[in-house]
Amino acid sequence: GMAGGLEPHLEALRRELRAPGPALLSVLLALLAVAITFLIWRFVQGRRSSRKAVLLLGLCDAGKTLLFARLLTGKYRDTQTSITDSSAVYRVSNDKSGNVTLIDLPGHESLRLQFLERFKAAARAIVFVVDSVAFQREVKDVAEFLYQVLVDSTVLKNAPALLIACNKQDVTMAKSAKLIQQQLEKELNTLRVTRSAAPTSLDGSATGGPAQLGKKGKDFDFSQLPMRVEFVECSARGSKGEEGDADFEGLEKWLAKVA
Amino acid sequence: MLDFFTIFSKGGLVLWCFQGVRGPAAAATAPVNALIRSVLLQERGGNNSFTHEALTLKYKLDNQFELVFVVGFQKILTLTYVDKLIDDVHKEFRDKYRNEFQQKGTLGLLNGTFDFKDDFMRLLRDAEESSKVRAPTVMKTFEQSLKSQKTVKCMIETRGEKPKEKVKNKKNKGSKKEGTEAVAAPGKASAGDKQPSAAGEREELTKDEILQKNREEFFKRHMKAGEKSSKSPKPEAQKEKGKKPRVWDLGNSNAKVLDYSNSATNGSAEACPVEEFDPDTALGDRNREPGRLYDLEYESDDEAEGEKVIQNPSKPSAKKGGLGGMFGMLKGLVGSKSLTREDMDPVLEKMKDHLIAKNVAAEIAVQLCESVAKKLEGKVMGTFTTVTSTVKQALQEALVQILQPQRRVDVLRDVMDAQRHRRPYVVTFCGVNGVGKSTNLAKISFWLIENGFSVLIAACDTFRAGAVEQLRTHTRRLNALHPPESHGGRTMVQLYEKGYGKDAAGIAMEAISYARNQGFDVVLVDTAGRMQDNAPLMTALAKLIAVNAPDLVLFVGEALVGNEAVDQLVKFNKALADHSMAQTPRLIDGIVLTKFDTIDDKVGAAISMTYITSKPIVFVGTGQTYCDLRSLNAKAVVAALMKA
Repeated sequence: GMAGGLEPHLEALRRELRAPGPALLSVLLALLAVAITFLIWRFVQGRRSSRKAVLLLGLCDAGKTLLFARLLTGKYRDTQTSITDSSAVYRVSNDKSGNVTLIDLPGHESLRLQFLERFKAAARAIVFVVDSVAFQREVKDVAEFLYQVLVDSTVLKNAPALLIACNKQDVTMAKSAKLIQQQLEKELNTLRVTRSAAPTSLDGSATGGPAQLGKKGKDFDFSQLPMRVEFVECSARGSKGEEGDADFEGLEKWLAKVA
Repeated sequence: MLDFFTIFSKGGLVLWCFQGVRGPAAAATAPVNALIRSVLLQERGGNNSFTHEALTLKYKLDNQFELVFVVGFQKILTLTYVDKLIDDVHKEFRDKYRNEFQQKGTLGLLNGTFDFKDDFMRLLRDAEESSKVRAPTVMKTFEQSLKSQKTVKCMIETRGEKPKEKVKNKKNKGSKKEGTEAVAAPGKASAGDKQPSAAGEREELTKDEILQKNREEFFKRHMKAGEKSSKSPKPEAQKEKGKKPRVWDLGNSNAKVLDYSNSATNGSAEACPVEEFDPDTALGDRNREPGRLYDLEYESDDEAEGEKVIQNPSKPSAKKGGLGGMFGMLKGLVGSKSLTREDMDPVLEKMKDHLIAKNVAAEIAVQLCESVAKKLEGKVMGTFTTVTSTVKQALQEALVQILQPQRRVDVLRDVMDAQRHRRPYVVTFCGVNGVGKSTNLAKISFWLIENGFSVLIAACDTFRAGAVEQLRTHTRRLNALHPPESHGGRTMVQLYEKGYGKDAAGIAMEAISYARNQGFDVVLVDTAGRMQDNAPLMTALAKLIAVNAPDLVLFVGEALVGNEAVDQLVKFNKALADHSMAQTPRLIDGIVLTKFDTIDDKVGAAISMTYITSKPIVFVGTGQTYCDLRSLNAKAVVAALMKA
């Protein structure tokens, strides 16, 4: 009676499971198609939106916020020490398709690494602003920050284009880009040794990162880095002071190239 | 009167600036930068004023639109209207330019012209006028109320000590209640006990009811005994004095005054719960013998009263807010809600207790939570973020910020520099007794030798028995590990000692000149441990540091220390500053945190020490062998700190 009624149903079920009918097969195929589409979409999305940002890094008082303001509006603004980041879209002047997001990060010692951590993955290019007037005094601090940026694992993986903008060239005592490059190379050469020899960090990871900067055995050179490095001179304030324009054609050209 | 008033965004753009009485235009930037660096970035945002040279700066943060409002005025002036002015300016500026902030974002800030001068001048004039007008009237009312408070209180205490039998029931309860407050009420946590005491305090607080009671009592006294009439003029005179503020405060409406006294005598809604619990307390007091634990009970009762008074108003609001609270939570999850102080307070309390449980010094935990509250007040939360997660995130960022070194920490680089100038790099270790100075000195010299620098150890601990022998043993061991043959024939480590009982500063000076002559790269000076309260020893240490001008002054502190860390560092720094002859005294340059392996995740001492001195932790000692030297990893420490 009852058992007899159930048996054929069970048999049908077993047959269905053993040899998947066209209905089950089509469902499985549909799911697979959706999954593949989803993965492709995520991949494309990631590629497209990942790195559209240009970061403005540098020590405190290097002139990053003023450079940011000048690039976006062309006007001079008074600035104070930044305590948070500012970002805006920058349209390259003659190219209509090129636009990048300029992100101005604070340079203060207690904030800089936190903000770098937050934005480094989205960086397509990095502008490292250097105060050319105070460079002689600050060379060790500049080099240390640059070193920390360069040995960061995300930066090494993405290899964003690096521009070292020697700012404040309107002052007569400013050092030239060539001199700054030479000094930085020498200092980074020394830092390679001292930072890797520092005591290991508390949780075991070495402070300098496992990465070696440049080539072993040879003196450090910016050409040894995996990314494109350029040096350019600029002045955010401009030679005519607050009323005139800023002098940074080299910077603008480089931004146009990067965008 | 004001020197300047600036409004700038947290991203660094100055939106509007007002130059007051003095000055060149750039005079505002330097003090404001100093304010930002020392207060906001070091998480000392608890109190909102800051002095820089001759100026006092007051500031206010707008966390919703990321703005900072700063006003600066001369330190010698005391301007009462400044706080109100900042608040008014904040509100007006925000409302006026709300569109720019909300819609256009950063470009709005860059392109917008903020023409605020007229509004600001108007607000300034209003603020100045209001402060001028208010000054005389404030003083009068204050004086009156203080005096009246004093007289009433005196009267209550005298009444409480005298036993009253023949008076009204209410009077009896009143006096017994005050008696229980003044004398030993058993502080058992029963609501009944505390309710009347709270109500009693409420009665105490309302002067009018007390004055009414006094009046009744003295009428009774008049009826009872004539001799008490001598007292009546005095209380009457006091009553009259007490009457005056009432008339002044309430204006002309006598009807209102009468209503108030009626409510007291008839037992109004306010007094109802009091009467319900009265019999219990009255009985309880009659049974027990108060007075034995007088002092302690009095204090605890006061605190209990205080807590109950605070809790009572909050209870009705909690009941009312029950349903609203649920909707508020949903609204908070989905929509955009701005954080208020009340939302954050419970979370901050919990975080503060958590930090204290992790061995952060108590006052520092308080200041830190205050600063985080200031930073988050008014901030708009994103969707699906709870208050707890926002506060935790902000606290985590603040902690990482504190632990980040404010200056370069690279001893090897500096030693190389000194090497180039052909002079030894001098490091001095100071600290209290038993923190591990000599052990960590040996570890650091091992590390330096491994990196190829020769070390001279100066034994300036001429007090503790065995100090010199300890260092001699370390020297011998290190030389065995790194024999001269493997380093080109030079002895990598040598001990400079002059025995016991000599002057430490002199030995240090001789050691440094010996190192210069012999070409040693580093001199490590070991000093005797000393308590921070020991004035002569602190003077001696300050003299050693002032005379020898070391390149690095390291304070050695153990990770086990709790609230003591604050006291130690403050007093050490103070001693170094006081006894230095120079304009800019040499203070502690860095911290060595020792015995880190003995604490599991109670790493709060690191926060306390870096917060107090704002100097970095240069080394961390994690054991007693030569290899147990580490450098600080801010993220790992903060992760251990925030772990539940």
